[in-house]
Amino acid sequence: MTGSDGGADADDAAATDDTAAVRVDGVSKRYEGRQTTQPLRDVSLAVERGEFVCLVGPSGCGKTTLLRLLAGLESPTDGTISVGGSRVTGPGVDRGMVFQEYNLFPWKTVEENVRFGLDRPVCDCADCAARVADLVELVGLGGFEDAYPKELSGGMKQRVAVARALAVDPEVLLMDEPFGSIDAQTRDRLQAELLDIWRETGKTVVFVTHEIEEAVTLADRVVVLGAGSDGVVGDFDVDISRPRERTDPEFAAAVEGVRARIE
Amino acid sequence: MSFGTRLSFDFEPDVGRDESVNRVACAIAGVVGFLAVWTAAASVVHPDYLLPGPLTVLGALATEFTTDAPLAVPGIGGAVDLPRALTRLAQTLFHLVPGLLAGAFVGVATGLLVGYSPRVDATVTPVIRVLRPIPELAWIAFAIVWLGIGHAGAAFIVGVGALWINYYAAYSGVDGVHEGYKEVGATLGVRTHAGMLRHVVLPAALPSVVNGFRTSIGRCLMIVVGAELFGAPGVGYEIINASNNLDMARSMAYMLVISAVYICVDSTYAAAERRWLAWRP
Repeated sequence: MTGSDGGADADDAAATDDTAAVRVDGVSKRYEGRQTTQPLRDVSLAVERGEFVCLVGPSGCGKTTLLRLLAGLESPTDGTISVGGSRVTGPGVDRGMVFQEYNLFPWKTVEENVRFGLDRPVCDCADCAARVADLVELVGLGGFEDAYPKELSGGMKQRVAVARALAVDPEVLLMDEPFGSIDAQTRDRLQAELLDIWRETGKTVVFVTHEIEEAVTLADRVVVLGAGSDGVVGDFDVDISRPRERTDPEFAAAVEGVRARIE
Repeated sequence: MSFGTRLSFDFEPDVGRDESVNRVACAIAGVVGFLAVWTAAASVVHPDYLLPGPLTVLGALATEFTTDAPLAVPGIGGAVDLPRALTRLAQTLFHLVPGLLAGAFVGVATGLLVGYSPRVDATVTPVIRVLRPIPELAWIAFAIVWLGIGHAGAAFIVGVGALWINYYAAYSGVDGVHEGYKEVGATLGVRTHAGMLRHVVLPAALPSVVNGFRTSIGRCLMIVVGAELFGAPGVGYEIINASNNLDMARSMAYMLVISAVYICVDSTYAAAERRWLAWRP
């Protein structure tokens, strides 16, 4: 476990610009209204290609806002975001999003949900049916192709959502507290599966969570956003071999390091 | 309830449906009770023809099914002889079905659009607030002037009735579409509003639209009497005409025809709805 401050990392990333899958430059987000709020103030961050980064922080630190800006679902008030070298101006298939509340289309079966992105505007893959079947298999839902979301448990729904996001072969997988409403045992299994999928596909993953243990279990790098829009207050490389055990002293030390920075 | 100290017939708030209710037995009891009250009332009211009893109405209904009347077939021309009840029913359907479909189509299309686009909503809603409270039957004179006495005029009245129910069903359906579905659609490559409407908004709003259409079928059957007030032939006209001639039994026989049609259509539709929307939680 090595802790480094945000500034050094940013310099490092600037030198090797081409390898950055995600680059956030001086991004602020303000919501004007009767009460103006500013969840993000001057945040800069770079994520390497193939890296698994967890964003953690207390409620209201703007981690979900940052992820939504990366997805292009909202636009920054100031600053720029680029993914794969091109500027983000709106949602796109180069960024797959997985939501805490799954957001599966209830009128579509598992197979149809996974296929959705392939048909917009039109498939360009050689064999979409096979691709869908592979993805359903990858997330361990073989046999449930024709089930409707209402017939699935929370964990199964989130597996479908991951497969659906992966179907369009995005550059980056954005995950917004995806296991936040899933029971503890299922969550452990999903985390292990996600790491398998990550290894298998080599995707860049940006994963938002408020659970430090989850972040340390999953990430190559844990980025801490401060409360009160302080921006990046901590940036930790997690140098523990996977699979990581919570009982491992190294793991506990890493968790403590992150926790100290949050509080 | 092993700790219960109350007797089971004590009144307790009924949380959820009690599965032990024998619905068929209750339904039979309800219908028999209704017929008993009707018969008793009919025997009290004088003169007799003002409130005919169930058997008299049944007799009148039988007459309507055994007396033939010619049915002019629109479009093809010519006439076929059918039992009078069926002739009147067919005449009603000739304007009920086109009116219902046209009104529903316009209502759903407008409702989807207005519900989806805040700008269209802001523009159109003031106008709709003005038009909405106007009763369908207020348009009768206009329907006669614009479309003449006949199926077209009656279809117009029915259409106005179907329009608003379907409009609001579609509007609120679209309004209630979970924002997350649209966001998923956008991140998965839906680029245009047309695409979003077709692939995300319409399917998500479909239960509301389908249910609104079902309600509008009932509503249109109810306005059929009004729509046929001015002489368009059909069941509604027969109800008015017979009661104007103090032939209450015949008038009520046609009321039962409307009920029968509604029960058949609605239960068929309910079954179809369950199948179409099997995905609903």
